[in-house]
Amino acid sequence: MADSDKVDCRKASWLLSVASERELTAQERQALREHLDRCLKCRNYEGQLKFLREASRRFGK
Amino acid sequence: MAQTPAADPRFAEIESHRPYLVRYALAQLRDAELAQETVQEALLAALEALPGFDGRSSLRTWLTAILRFKVIDAQRRIATDRRRLESTDGDEDGADEAWQDELFDETGHWRVAPRTWSDPESAFEQARFWEVFEKCLGRLPPAGGRVFFKREVLGEETRAICGAEGITESNCWVMLHRARLALRACLESNWFGEEAPRGG
Repeated sequence: MADSDKVDCRKASWLLSVASERELTAQERQALREHLDRCLKCRNYEGQLKFLREASRRFGK
Repeated sequence: MAQTPAADPRFAEIESHRPYLVRYALAQLRDAELAQETVQEALLAALEALPGFDGRSSLRTWLTAILRFKVIDAQRRIATDRRRLESTDGDEDGADEAWQDELFDETGHWRVAPRTWSDPESAFEQARFWEVFEKCLGRLPPAGGRVFFKREVLGEETRAICGAEGITESNCWVMLHRARLALRACLESNWFGEEAPRGG
């Protein structure tokens, strides 16, 4: 079922978010990495999540 | 097949509308193979229904009406397949929820692409940024905003937050996911948009 391994932006955004809540499976990590390698939009989103985390942390201080 | 469809002289005429119908289906489904299949289904249905077609509307209009129903069927099947696929993943990522359709199209792509935020660090130095940030936090739906605030601002563990909210952990993850997407969109249009101050 190679098809179920395919990650689109919708799925990638979910994996990027849930990665800070639970450990991704090896399969998820690989599929996400492959998607990010070819998708600038999702790499941007990844950076934005880091920014949100840092901004929230500072906001709470 | 008792009667061969080709026996009807209108068969060739029906066939002549195929390219138009494929374009119509493609515009709705955005999947070439699926569009071809759906048109094929519609044409077969049309051939079966042909004896009842009274010619009051044009043949193309009639065929398009049949195709429209077949397209809706195909869209339903896609939605069902996607739900099944994702539920066996055990992700419970809320993929069947309508809110995701506002952010992602049928093929799973961003409707509005996240942009590269220039010099995000400098935002932290600006008082105006924190006003925008607070406003964006305030725009989150109440429960989602609360969960996000506890998780990201107060740094609580998700398990504890879900317990306090009385929701399952995976439900909590979906709320956080949704809040993050909404917050980044709000910051992008209200801070990192064109009017955003440049530099530090």
